[in-house]
Amino acid sequence: MGHGLSAPAAFAAEEVDSPVLAIHSKNAWNDHWKSHKDSSKLMVIDFTASWCGPCRSIAPAIKAMAVKYTDVVFVKIDVDELSEVAQQWKVQTMPAFVLVKGGSEVGRVVGAKKDELDKKIAQLRA
Amino acid sequence: MAVSGFEGFEKRLELHFSGDNPLGLRYLSIDDLQQVLDAVQCSIVSAAGNRSFDAYVLSESSLFLYPHKIILKTCGTTQLLRSIPSLLHHAADLGLRLRSCRYSRGRFIFPAAQPFPHTSFPDEVRFLDARLPATLRFRKASVMPSATSAHSWHVYSAADDEFSVLPPSGSTIEVCMTELDRSLARRFHRRKGDDRSGDEAGAEMTELTEIGGINPRALVCGFAFDPCGYSMNGLDRDRYSTIHVTPEDGHSYASFECVGGGEMMELDCLRKAVHVFRPGAVSVCTAAAAGGDEGGVWSAVANALEPLGLSCRNQAAEDFPGAGTVTYQTFTARRK
Repeated sequence: MGHGLSAPAAFAAEEVDSPVLAIHSKNAWNDHWKSHKDSSKLMVIDFTASWCGPCRSIAPAIKAMAVKYTDVVFVKIDVDELSEVAQQWKVQTMPAFVLVKGGSEVGRVVGAKKDELDKKIAQLRA
Repeated sequence: MAVSGFEGFEKRLELHFSGDNPLGLRYLSIDDLQQVLDAVQCSIVSAAGNRSFDAYVLSESSLFLYPHKIILKTCGTTQLLRSIPSLLHHAADLGLRLRSCRYSRGRFIFPAAQPFPHTSFPDEVRFLDARLPATLRFRKASVMPSATSAHSWHVYSAADDEFSVLPPSGSTIEVCMTELDRSLARRFHRRKGDDRSGDEAGAEMTELTEIGGINPRALVCGFAFDPCGYSMNGLDRDRYSTIHVTPEDGHSYASFECVGGGEMMELDCLRKAVHVFRPGAVSVCTAAAAGGDEGGVWSAVANALEPLGLSCRNQAAEDFPGAGTVTYQTFTARRK
C-alpha cells in the first residue's frame, strides 16, 4: 500500500534543507545507530508514513522543534521503506516519536501530540 | 437544568465513496482538511493514523478518514452539514465518486441554540437534499421515536443503490448517555493550577476512568479540555472507537461509538463504556447490513445493559438506503 504513489508535494518539499535527518536505508540506519550510542545526545526517531495524514499535519512542528533544540538529534524513518526497523520498535500507529538516549528508549509519544512531545524533549535532553 | 449550556449531543455524518485511488481520502492535504473543518467551525486538536485509517480529535469531537469513507461527528453548535460542499469538491478532485450518505443525531438538549441548518430536522433534510448529487436517488428521512418525547433518533440517508453494493464495513454502535453519575463526571474536570498539556491530562483521565480498559488492544488518543470535557479516539486495526464527555452538572452527556466485527465483542465494550459513566439514561443505536436480525440485536444490547441496572424502555428498527438496518433502543436506570 502506498508504493508507486508519491506523497503530496508539500510533504516531499520539506525534506530539503531540513534539520530532521531522513534515513532511507538499513545501512544508513545502522551507521547512525552506532554513532548515537557513542554520543550522550537525546535522539528523537520520528516514524512516519506517506499515507498518514496526521504525520503530515505535525511535520512543520517537528521541523521547528529540530531548529529549537540544537542539542537533540532528529531522525525520520518511513515505515514502508524501513519496515524492519518500524517492527523492531513496535510502531503500528503514527506518527510515533521514540526518544532514545545511550541506546535505550527513554520516552515515546504516539500521535500528533505537539505539546506533549515538546515537553518530553525539553525534560529529557539534559 | 441550565437555560443553555454546552450541547453534548453530536451530529454525525458518514459518506461512502468509490474510486481507483487506493489512498483515496487519506490523500487530502492538511490545508484542504482544515478548510473543510473551517466550514464546520472546529479544528484539529490531536491526530494519529495506522495502515487502515486516520483519526483526528477535533475541538468539538472527531473525524475518521478511511480511503473511501469519512465519518465526521461534531457537537456543540457546529454547523456539520456545511462541510458537505467542500468535501464533495475535494473528493471529486481526487477522482472519487459519492455512493452514499448517512446523517444522524439524537435530540438536542438545547435545540433553540442550534444555528441553521440545524434549527430543525426538516431544515437539515432540505439542506442535504439540495447539496447531494442527483445520482444518490434513493433517499429516506425518519425520526425514530422512543417512549418519551425527550429522546428520539433522527436519520437521513441517501444512496445510489437501494441495496448497498459497498462491501459490508461491519456494524457500528452509537451510545448516547445523559444524567451522568456526578462523582464520575467530576473526573473529567481539570484540576486548578494543572498546567500540563491537554494530551497529558487526557492520558491520565483515560487511565483513571478506566476508559483505556474498554478495548485494551486499542491505541487511545485522549484529550482533556480546559476547564472540563474530554475526547478520545481509539485505533485498533481497521476499527475506530470514540468517546466524548460533557461533564457539566445539569446537562451532562457522554457518547461512545465503535465498530463491530460481528463477533459481538463490541457488546463487551458497550457494557464497559456505560459502566464508566453510570448514566441515568442511555440510547443505543446500531447500523448493520440490511437483512440482519434486529430482534437479536435488541436482545444482545438489552442483555449487555440490564446487569448495569438499566431497563429497556423502547426498541425500534428501520431500513435506510445505503445504511442498512438501524436499530434504536432507550434505557433508563432503575433508581433505588
